[in-house]
Amino acid sequence: MLSRSAERLYWLARYVERTENTAKLVSVHMNLLMDLPKGVEMGWQQLVRINGVEQDFLEKNKAINERTVTRFLLTDANYSGSLLSSLTAARENIRTTRELLPDEAWEQVNEMYLYVQKNLDAVSNRRSRVLFLNEILKGCQRFTGLLSGYMSHHHPYRFIRLGRNLERADMTSRILDLASLLLSESRSDELRQYETILWMNILTALNALLMYRQHVRTRIHGDDVLDFLLHDQHLPRSVSYCLQEISDCVSRLPNNDGLPDKVTELTEYIQTINTHNATQLQLRGILDDLQNKLGAFHGHINSNWFLRATPEQEG
Amino acid sequence: MKSIWENYKTDVAYDELMYSEFQPRPMSHSLCQYLNSLKKEDIDKRKIAAELAIMEMGITFTVYTDEGNIDRAWPFDIIPRIIDSKEWNVIEKGLKQRLTALNHFISDVYGEQQFIKDGKIPSETINSSKNFRKECVGMKPKHNVWANICGTDLVRDKDGIMYVLEDNLRVPSGVSYMLENRVITKRVFPELLQDINILPIDDYPAQLQDMLSSIAPVEGNPQIVVLTPGIYNSAYFEHAYLAQQMGAQLVEGSDLVVKADNCVYMRTIEGLEKVDVIYRRIDDDFLDPEVFRKDSALGVPGLMRAWKAGNVALANAPGAGVADDKVVYAYVPEMIRYYLNEEPILPNVPTYLCSNKDHFDYVMEHLAELVVKPANESGGYGMLVGPHSTAKEVEAFRKVIQADPRNYIGQPTLAISTAPTLCKGKLEPRHIDLRPFILQGEKTFVTAGGLTRVALKKGSLVVNSSQGGGSKDTWIINMENS
Repeated sequence: MLSRSAERLYWLARYVERTENTAKLVSVHMNLLMDLPKGVEMGWQQLVRINGVEQDFLEKNKAINERTVTRFLLTDANYSGSLLSSLTAARENIRTTRELLPDEAWEQVNEMYLYVQKNLDAVSNRRSRVLFLNEILKGCQRFTGLLSGYMSHHHPYRFIRLGRNLERADMTSRILDLASLLLSESRSDELRQYETILWMNILTALNALLMYRQHVRTRIHGDDVLDFLLHDQHLPRSVSYCLQEISDCVSRLPNNDGLPDKVTELTEYIQTINTHNATQLQLRGILDDLQNKLGAFHGHINSNWFLRATPEQEG
Repeated sequence: MKSIWENYKTDVAYDELMYSEFQPRPMSHSLCQYLNSLKKEDIDKRKIAAELAIMEMGITFTVYTDEGNIDRAWPFDIIPRIIDSKEWNVIEKGLKQRLTALNHFISDVYGEQQFIKDGKIPSETINSSKNFRKECVGMKPKHNVWANICGTDLVRDKDGIMYVLEDNLRVPSGVSYMLENRVITKRVFPELLQDINILPIDDYPAQLQDMLSSIAPVEGNPQIVVLTPGIYNSAYFEHAYLAQQMGAQLVEGSDLVVKADNCVYMRTIEGLEKVDVIYRRIDDDFLDPEVFRKDSALGVPGLMRAWKAGNVALANAPGAGVADDKVVYAYVPEMIRYYLNEEPILPNVPTYLCSNKDHFDYVMEHLAELVVKPANESGGYGMLVGPHSTAKEVEAFRKVIQADPRNYIGQPTLAISTAPTLCKGKLEPRHIDLRPFILQGEKTFVTAGGLTRVALKKGSLVVNSSQGGGSKDTWIINMENS
């Protein structure tokens, strides 16, 4: 397959995954805030913070509240990380790789895009926002499902899995950032009372609550949750599981020089992460480091398969 | 309740479906019966369903405007255009005959030039043609076929006769819309399609693939690619669609490279892979900056070298456009007689060549009655429709012709046929044409029907999608088995 197509499929998958994650994050956060008493320190600003875009946000918005944050994260066409921007980028990528994918895949992404365009105003109202987010979550799942069911699991599909899992690992680490706020030494007694609810929401954001209950079988405890989301070998959104998927794709793709070693390195690094009794500062340090390593791994994929080698180099 | 046919006029031109407001032609009986059985709301609902399907399938074309490029949904009229298969069989033969003669002509032009030597066409006409490529002289593409894919525009005049308006031999587009129109019709009128014997059209991609394989320089399983100028081209949707339907790679110029061995390769994740056949959707001018336009960023440097060395097949072959010139068009009936020793099955529209003194005088005298077109433009740009223009416009155009007579031809303004078209919940006659697609490689294939384009504006004769045209599904109906 063409290097250019491989690159676009990889980014298509990343953007669809990002679209889904953004929808999920906003949706879970809404639920969380409904459970918490008014005035505790968990507010909408945390959502902006874990995406690392506080500055961007503050340049455009005076107040940090439900309305401005959801608008920014969901429908701001000028913020490249918004749901709308991710979906638009996904659509552009699939438009240029249609020949490799089943028709339904294009139609699914196109339909979601048209839906978002038509319902931009729906996000300002909580009730219609819930419906909006559900529609997007379902759409992303349909997309993933139909590729899995309709597409040969060959190279093009592997680039899609590669993109999806790298994005997923990154998002899981960002959601753990949110968790790191919970470990803050200075958190109020009031917030401490709600800790279980907060951890449950972290699990829910990653569709991991049920699996946590089945596999960990203790009451919900911060250290266990962190460990589960980083290290579980079977949970589709744990960082370790994403790495297994990445490893599987990389080892089956042609011309993978040196990349399997890089995956092994990264996997070993993740295994050594120990979050037990970590302070907030330590955890943030660990997660920053993890995100940087994932970013560096993207760089390897990029230079290995996507950057066009000159004919001289390829003999 | 008022009928959707109320005040339907069939006196403007030949109507494809109706003798009169109350009397359908035989092949449109079932359709009319069915439409009459629907309530007005039901018809509206189906129109909305069709529009929704087009949006979701993402069937678009791009319009270039001053404000930038706009992706528009494909305007589609749900009422099909119908042709009796008996008539169609004759048209199909005529189209095959025509393309065969055209390919003989192109081979001759780049070979012995016997047609010119025998005085059948002035040599200046060829030499002054923008699309004559001296780089192609002496080339012999496989099967001696230069134009592998042709879109021929047909119109029916008030006399009921189908005329050939032009042959598009460069990069004709529209076939994907023809295919998608049928998909939409199946969604919108499923009950109807079950009961009528309509010839299927969906084997086109397979036929295209067969044709492209047949021109490959290698035996076996050739690597076929579709070369697109990219997402900003107005026909990008079609390029992607055809590549997908054939299971071929869709490539851009920068994905290809010609190496010192004069072979074409594409850049893949596994390194360079050899390419055997290129269905190119880029004009000659932009194909190879080493040979044609130096500033082309869309093409592939060295592509002509590879083609001339016989290492890659290009469809259509470079230079094929020499026969896609409205002056050369006038000589096609003579080509058919000359090369095939047959009488033309499909007539040309009478054509006055402004390069010819007598014809020029005639055009000047009758300018206000004629349609005048530039020899080498497509998309309906730069033309004059005399009867629809103001005296001022006619005079301005006169100067344009006088400045460059070789580049203009005149034709009588045809009363091109109409077909019922849904306009604000009622049926009204709108002018239509037909573009069938013909494939020629080892064998020749014609689509069953083609793309019917319709001028949606009342009275307008311009069917181009970039200028307010839409399209219809085209049914070839076999009346004998139904």
